[in-house]
Amino acid sequence: MSVTHDSGRKKNHLDRQFDLIRRREEAGELSNPKGYRFARKFLSNRLAAFGLVVFTLIVLVSVLAPLLTPYNPRAIDLRNILKPPTWEHWFGTDKVGRDLFTRVLYGGQISILVGLGSALASAVVGVLVGCYTGYVGGWRDALAMRVSEIFMSFPQIILVLLLVAILGQSLSNLIIIFILTGWGGIYRLARARMLSLREEEYVQALRSFGLSTPIICYKHILPNALGPIMVNITLSTAAFILAEAGLSFLGLGVPLDIPTWGNILNVAQDLRILENNWWVWLPVGIVISLFVLSVNFIGDGLRDATDPTQQG
Amino acid sequence: MLAYVIRRILILIPMALVISFLVYLGLELTPGDAVSHMISPEMMASISAERLDALRESLGLEQPFFVRYWIWLQGMLQGNFGYSTAGGVSIHTILSDRLPATLELSAVALLFSTIFGCVLGVISALKRGSTTDNVLTVTGMLGVSVPEFFFGLVAILIFALKLQWLPVGGRLLPGYDSYWDHVPHVIMPALVLSIMMTAGVMRYARSSMLDALSKEYIKTARSKGLPEWRVNLLHGFRVALTPVIVLIGFRLPVLIGGSVIIEQVYQWPGVGSEFISAVRSQDYPLVMMIALLSVMAVLTASLLVDILTALIDPRVRLDK
Repeated sequence: MSVTHDSGRKKNHLDRQFDLIRRREEAGELSNPKGYRFARKFLSNRLAAFGLVVFTLIVLVSVLAPLLTPYNPRAIDLRNILKPPTWEHWFGTDKVGRDLFTRVLYGGQISILVGLGSALASAVVGVLVGCYTGYVGGWRDALAMRVSEIFMSFPQIILVLLLVAILGQSLSNLIIIFILTGWGGIYRLARARMLSLREEEYVQALRSFGLSTPIICYKHILPNALGPIMVNITLSTAAFILAEAGLSFLGLGVPLDIPTWGNILNVAQDLRILENNWWVWLPVGIVISLFVLSVNFIGDGLRDATDPTQQG
Repeated sequence: MLAYVIRRILILIPMALVISFLVYLGLELTPGDAVSHMISPEMMASISAERLDALRESLGLEQPFFVRYWIWLQGMLQGNFGYSTAGGVSIHTILSDRLPATLELSAVALLFSTIFGCVLGVISALKRGSTTDNVLTVTGMLGVSVPEFFFGLVAILIFALKLQWLPVGGRLLPGYDSYWDHVPHVIMPALVLSIMMTAGVMRYARSSMLDALSKEYIKTARSKGLPEWRVNLLHGFRVALTPVIVLIGFRLPVLIGGSVIIEQVYQWPGVGSEFISAVRSQDYPLVMMIALLSVMAVLTASLLVDILTALIDPRVRLDK
């Protein structure tokens, strides 16, 4: 008796809820803009939200560097060599008296440009090649696959250093080298998505309408593969920022006269500086780590928000 | 099984040939007289111009490109890697000097990361959703986000400069060559090198373990009344571990990449630090040879992974 009563109440409750939804739908409240569910899901992930805040903060502070600091990142001041942090110099000064806070901000501009720029550019290359060859198949697909296999059978840093030895050291060369070594991963991803999507019925329909191949693959299939591609771009941004820092630390990345996060850390190879002048290398190391961490959190959040099958 | 292995090797050979060809092309295109990295510098200094021309002839340098490549390839297979242009030393000697140090460092790092990664990953999976799990997950993210060399610097500052427990760098002092003398030198670089891999293995072990724990035979084992630790370890862990171990083969590129920078931080006399100095001095033959060696290592590792996977899972080798 109580059971039917209970289920009756439940039904009433569901009915009421359904009415509510329908009312909202008719009032147009539920026709939420595209991406709303995605944004809510992304932001409800605390780590991803934290990542987004830290990322935005560091990017803003780097871009607004000229407003935030009165110093020039390359201005040498020999009266203030290796001074610990003070109110005038928040992160202290380095071996030739340059203000380290300023250098970290301006260095951020270059490091973020290298990381984000290389990731975006290699994604463009990878996606253009992967979508097209994956869609048309045949010898083009086989050729692209072999070429990417060759690139990917090198450990990344070895290939990067090999190309640095051949092409020489400069900012633009470094970005080109990163693109050359980085396109393979995203190409494979785009190709794999393409192989499964091109069999979908809507693609057959488009083909039977007589649409051209580029329009089908870039305009109609690509948007459906965008989720994992975005995740991959964030993750490769993190990897490139780490790679730039590592290479510049070795003195083989961006030329030393351009301030970047890795170049600031370069002096820490000197054990005396490492032991006695922590402010020269510790803050910038923490900034790099925080930035890469925030990008990784964003990437993870994107993955959870775009791919409902990967939750756990 | 044998057919599968042979097929895999047959796929690998053209790949290795193409890459060796590209490396040779690079060697030919980079500046410098080809003779200078094919004979030893003493010989180079002592011979006359006519002899040099004759030598060029005998080394096949007047031959067409593909014949030169073929001769070079034959030399490579016999262990004749040519000479470094910066130091004038035979590359074979350099590699045989440097390789043991790199292998030692990598092997210890591989061991550390496998043990820590599996243990932490399994703990994380067993306590899924708990504070421990969350802390471990965030720590893992931190492990892949902090630059390895920065970890290295902090570790040097704390353990070598401040506490003075461990040496700053280097491998062995002259005269100290017993088994135990290796330990203090290798432990810090190996631990630092293993951090990034530990994080990766941990993440993978966690999801693999979660996957195994959701299987029916775990329920069966529980319903038999087995103690929880036996269920987890003997039934869950054993199954979950197989893909993790296989994955370690794929981590070789990460290991090689990491060791290049870490060897430099710790002044470790391995192939990685040699590679860096070769890049700095634009010693193309040495750079190319080390790059080629690393590619061959990666290709071999992927072959071993494939064979291992096929041994474990018979479905793989039947799949064309």
